[in-house]
Amino acid sequence: MLQCIFLLSDSGEVMLEKQLTGHRVDRSICAYFWDQSISQGDSFKLLPVIASPTHYLFQIVRDGITFLACSQVEMPPLMAIEFLCRVADVLSDYLGGLNEDLVKDNFIIVYELLDEMIDNGFPLTTEPSILREMIAPPNLVSKMLSVVTGNASNVSDTLPSGTGSCVPWRPTDPKYSSNEVYVDLVEEMDAIVNRDGELVKCEIYGEVQMSSQLTGFPDLTLSFANPSVLEDVRFHAVKKLKNTPLYVKPQITSDSGTCRISVLVGIRTDPGKTIESITLSFQLPHCVSSADLSSNHGTVTILSNKTCSWTIGRIPKDKTPCLSGTLALGTGLERLHVFPTFKLGFKIMGIALSGLRIEKLDLQTLPPRLYKGFRAQTRAGEFDVRL
Amino acid sequence: MFNQFGSTAETLSKASAVVLRIGTDAHLYDDPEDVNIAPLLDSKFESEKCEALKRLLALIAQGFDVSNFFPQVVKNVASQSSEVKKLVYLYLLHYAEKRPNEALLSINYFQKDLGDPNPLVRAWALRTMAGIRLHVIAPLALAAVGKCARDPAVYVRKCAANALPKLHDLRLEEHAPAVEELVGILLNDHSPGVVGAAAAAFTSICPNNFKLIRKNYKKLCQILPDVEEWGQILLIGTLLRYVVARHGLVRESLMLSIHGLDDKGFYEKDGLSLDKGDGDKSDSFDADLVSLVSKCYIEGPDEYLSRSSCPETVSSAFNSKETTSIASNEDVKILLQCTSPLLWSNNSAVVLAAAGVQWIMAPLEDVKKIVKPLLFLLRSSTASKYVVLCNILVFAKAVPSLFAPHFEDFFICSSDAYQVKAHKLEMLSLIATTASISSILREFEDYIKDPDRRFAADTVAAIGLCAKRLPTVPATCLDGLLALVRQESFAGDLESVDEEAGVLVQAVMSIQTIIERDPLSHEKVIIQLFRSLDSIKVAAARATIIWMIGVYCSLGHIIPRMLTTITKYLAWSFKSEASETKLQILNTTAKVLANAEVDDFQMLKRIVVYVFELGECDLSYDVRDRTRFLKKLLSCKLACHEPAKDSVASQESIAEHVVEHVFGRKLKPFSPLALQNRFYLPGSLSQIVLHAAPGYEPLPKPCSFVFEEHDQLSDSDKHREATDLNGSQESSETVDEDGSSEYDSESSNGSDFSSDGDEKTISNDPLIQISEVAVSADQEELRSKRALDLWLDEQPSTSNQTSSALDRNQSSYAKISIGDLGSRVKPKSYTLLDPGSGNGLKVDYTFLSEVSTVSPLHVCVEVLFENSSTEPIREVHLEDEEVMKVSDSAEQTLVGKANASYNNVPTIIPMEEISCLEPRQSAKRLIQVRFHHHLLPMRLTLHYNGKKVPVKLRPDLGYLVKPFSMSVEEFLATESRLPGMFEYSRRCTFTDHVKDSRMENGKDKFLSICESITLKVLSNSNLHLVSVDLPVANTLEDATGLRLRFSSKILSSEIPLLITITVEGKCTEVLNSTVKINCEETVFGLNLLNRIANFMVEPSSSATL
Repeated sequence: MLQCIFLLSDSGEVMLEKQLTGHRVDRSICAYFWDQSISQGDSFKLLPVIASPTHYLFQIVRDGITFLACSQVEMPPLMAIEFLCRVADVLSDYLGGLNEDLVKDNFIIVYELLDEMIDNGFPLTTEPSILREMIAPPNLVSKMLSVVTGNASNVSDTLPSGTGSCVPWRPTDPKYSSNEVYVDLVEEMDAIVNRDGELVKCEIYGEVQMSSQLTGFPDLTLSFANPSVLEDVRFHAVKKLKNTPLYVKPQITSDSGTCRISVLVGIRTDPGKTIESITLSFQLPHCVSSADLSSNHGTVTILSNKTCSWTIGRIPKDKTPCLSGTLALGTGLERLHVFPTFKLGFKIMGIALSGLRIEKLDLQTLPPRLYKGFRAQTRAGEFDVRL
Repeated sequence: MFNQFGSTAETLSKASAVVLRIGTDAHLYDDPEDVNIAPLLDSKFESEKCEALKRLLALIAQGFDVSNFFPQVVKNVASQSSEVKKLVYLYLLHYAEKRPNEALLSINYFQKDLGDPNPLVRAWALRTMAGIRLHVIAPLALAAVGKCARDPAVYVRKCAANALPKLHDLRLEEHAPAVEELVGILLNDHSPGVVGAAAAAFTSICPNNFKLIRKNYKKLCQILPDVEEWGQILLIGTLLRYVVARHGLVRESLMLSIHGLDDKGFYEKDGLSLDKGDGDKSDSFDADLVSLVSKCYIEGPDEYLSRSSCPETVSSAFNSKETTSIASNEDVKILLQCTSPLLWSNNSAVVLAAAGVQWIMAPLEDVKKIVKPLLFLLRSSTASKYVVLCNILVFAKAVPSLFAPHFEDFFICSSDAYQVKAHKLEMLSLIATTASISSILREFEDYIKDPDRRFAADTVAAIGLCAKRLPTVPATCLDGLLALVRQESFAGDLESVDEEAGVLVQAVMSIQTIIERDPLSHEKVIIQLFRSLDSIKVAAARATIIWMIGVYCSLGHIIPRMLTTITKYLAWSFKSEASETKLQILNTTAKVLANAEVDDFQMLKRIVVYVFELGECDLSYDVRDRTRFLKKLLSCKLACHEPAKDSVASQESIAEHVVEHVFGRKLKPFSPLALQNRFYLPGSLSQIVLHAAPGYEPLPKPCSFVFEEHDQLSDSDKHREATDLNGSQESSETVDEDGSSEYDSESSNGSDFSSDGDEKTISNDPLIQISEVAVSADQEELRSKRALDLWLDEQPSTSNQTSSALDRNQSSYAKISIGDLGSRVKPKSYTLLDPGSGNGLKVDYTFLSEVSTVSPLHVCVEVLFENSSTEPIREVHLEDEEVMKVSDSAEQTLVGKANASYNNVPTIIPMEEISCLEPRQSAKRLIQVRFHHHLLPMRLTLHYNGKKVPVKLRPDLGYLVKPFSMSVEEFLATESRLPGMFEYSRRCTFTDHVKDSRMENGKDKFLSICESITLKVLSNSNLHLVSVDLPVANTLEDATGLRLRFSSKILSSEIPLLITITVEGKCTEVLNSTVKINCEETVFGLNLLNRIANFMVEPSSSATL
């Protein structure tokens, strides 16, 4: 089982250590980890399971914070990883995001949460709703209170009722004055367009998210208008599509040490709603020494690690957004022989691209003043366009 | 102007950051030491304590050692504020092991909290107490866990289950059975949350104690879907192991398919399904590999592979008796049924665990249902994606057709990490079929242009693998690869040489792998490669090609004719090559010469000689060595003028043969099994790191858990035995009593009981005083109600309630006085040295109740030496062992702490030496001993006849107390001051009186019971009998309500210790007695309680009256 959890900032500083068992893990293991990740580059940093000379390390990275857990014995690695992911989720939920300052500023809460979430290396209470009852999340009121009165305990005195329940995500006897239930259909489009411009893979993964404020434990039935579009209903919906709403046409020509690049982004098939927050990002190849890129719409930024991102926003009516410019290649290089992959991001509110529609939501017993809300949304998942 | 604005914006953003940080603990983290922490800890305000603790935690978080605050922090454990408590617990757990002595100070507070009505407080106390890893408190912690395992709150029981591994981790042998029993109890819990935690405890404590599982197997399966995700992961594994151990593998499953399928023959021997695997084909697989996988699961690859160096012998069949069939086996069926819904769990670890069960146990045709759930996991986080891919790879290696239709899912995204990309590539090359290969190759083409050149190189290698697996592909692949070689060779002299070189080398190697299958038909490709040699600059790639020249030098018609040109070129370029390439040139030219035809021989010979001359003068010693070696080897070739085809000279022919063997060898066919073939259980850490991690266990041997009916009976017996054993171990550490146990017979009315006290009867004996002591009974009731026992008692109808009911009915008690039993208290001696190992010298010892003359800490022990040999024994002497001084300091201080003033007193006051002991003679000596710990034996050295023998003197807990005389009123008053956590009781049976009453018919039964109990207690411990209470309203046969009170003080600390024994049951039958101890020193008290309960149960041999 897990012996210790470290939280490391992106500069490698150990922000927090929580020993879980009697077998203490010295924090020098973090130094080992950091040395390795520097010497071996990114690939090591992303390796989730590492066998160090003394411990097995599990790591995940969230928003620049590395969650590092140590174990010396056999244990399911996925359990450790899933747990770390859960910790990261809970922390970012509590702190309203994750970064070095937030963790340091709220280190007591982080400690208290970790202590509740894991006992002797085995997860104890990981259900966010129960944790919220045990340890109050920091909010403006409690902060003010602590400033004014000087003390505000965020540790609850009573055991949440959900701890013994089979449905720990709900309190044992929920009561709400207004009965509301909201259904969100969130779809993600994964697509790969290969270098010939062919659509190799285009799939939609959907999730039905619900937010329920219903008194008691009513039985709910969600019906879809056209369930036939779902390929494998057991999973969060998976559907293969023939087409993408947007097209990306990249072109690159290289000649005697300079390349001309032009990328066009446009609407292929109008989904019926506005496509928002369109972004396109790509990594410039190592051999590119400098780049001069400009666009007729939106903004282009090139980061120091040669990541170029183009924020388009919405497609204007009068023109097709176009990114163009030249890339200067490193010395001695005539032509570009490696080509970047463009990552497309977009969001469409109010429509599920798969065509899936929610027909109705039935409640077995209708509570008074029931409000039901539905919403759909599609966004780009792994949308790769290769040049 | 702008500047100004900029600065305002900056200050604004700074200000807003400050505002955001208000009310957080930011300042505590930033400057934890800007105030003096110590006074804050002693503050009377909770908020200040809280702040101090937060500062300490900040220092801990930053890696400072603040354990010096431990004593002050521990004090605050009594705080009422839950936040302070929580923070103290956090601190305590961090340092407990470092500061064991101070940690002990907190134990009493935990004891108190364990009785708190708030389940959260109980749970916290239990978690912390079990987390303080001290051997001394292990019995206390075990008792606490035992109580909490029966707690009404699910959360507390869950924490109890989590606490068990902590206790197990202390490696205390004597507690192991009790811990395992608790695991069993918790596994049997009706709440899924508890079962999950219990499964985790089972896995880490006793993963092979399948008896515990057998009892609840069906229930565990049914409860599995409701168990928490983390518990599910481990419970699935446990159930799988149980089923394998109980029933063996399933005949219809993939694991055993190799043995069962020969007759049906629906798998292909090669294991490569050539057409698109569309589900129906899911049963085509690599039979050898599957068999290897299943062997590895059962035996562990390290053991298995080391044993059978040759993988061909894999298919030694499993014993058919050790297998089962799904149709006939209910257990297997249930296991599969209850794990298959978990394939759709939200938690990837659960999915993988469930998939593992299906993979191993499910019938062949059902295995494919793990595919989609596993593929879905590829959409989870990067970290889990990698682990899942590692496992999928194993599945795909054994049964490629499972994943073949889903090749698109393994197409690479730009956001994948390098490792994920590499695994996906391996996956694609494994599952490619003739139907999918064209799409896959098109993808590969894209990948080759990826900016990540390492990935591109891997892609090229993957192409080679694909082409090797699928015979129809090579033509297209080869063209592509050759084009790549040409292209890369242009790009070869770039800045990023290293990465590009990798691609090129891989391309050449891939071409080589393809050619190897059928060199003759690829002759042109080889020639093209040779031709491109000039443009290729990368040493490793050149070396490979040059090596290929040597290998294929006699292939076909064209190559042999090119050889002179090529070798000339090689000789020409030799000087400018890297040493890696030079070595290959040497080899190749030698090979060429060895295989040379008549026409070219002279020419080649000259070239070779030239190359050898160059080689001998090379800077690299490797090259020089190789040159000399080859020169010697080829000396015969170089000497003669003709290719010695028909030379028969014997001397030369040997050299010829050597040369032939060295250079003419055919390439070995490449065995896929020789590849990565270490398989560990799916989902295990070992499978990811590819070595057996500590604690990794393969599946149990099939049918190794044999269960029979009589086993079941003995099961519970064994448990009892185990606990008894536990008890007896403890009691063996203690020593029995001595004869002269004297005590004041404080007869309340000064009655002159005659010591033989034979013909007394209760009803009419004037010497029995009847007094109303109902009040005290009520008091006690109240107390025990208040105490933690209330919520502990599982069945409401146990002792507490029944006895209270009885107590209320029979409120009047008679007080009995018993005469001096001193004469009947018999000493029980313990053996220090038996005559067998002491050459006839027998040494026994008994504890005396006399108070030591040296210090109150010393115990008087009478040692009896007896010579049972025929020779006289001289110079018998007993003294302290020097080594003793380095005993565990923690425990030493435990006892020693309170009596620092006595620390300079020697631990043993030695006896006077016995100069000579004649045969049959015996001698008694008195020694006084100060034990370092009330449980640990004292090591002494026995000298006799000039020899030294180490012996162990075990303390008897009963004699580490001294009688403390008090009246009943004092007793009750003291008792009422020691409630709750200071009060603990244990139930035991008592049988001694049965024998007595049978023997003496005339004697009063009650009296004899009282006597035998008193005798028993006083024979085993040094106590003062305060009173004996007898319920008056009882029928003559019913002894229920009989109560004996003893008082004493702990020798070392002078802390009073009260013992109350309450009896229930019929006079003539076995009595149930409850022993209760009230004492502030809980550790000592609990140990003594166990000791008393143990000797009460023991049938005593000395009870004959």
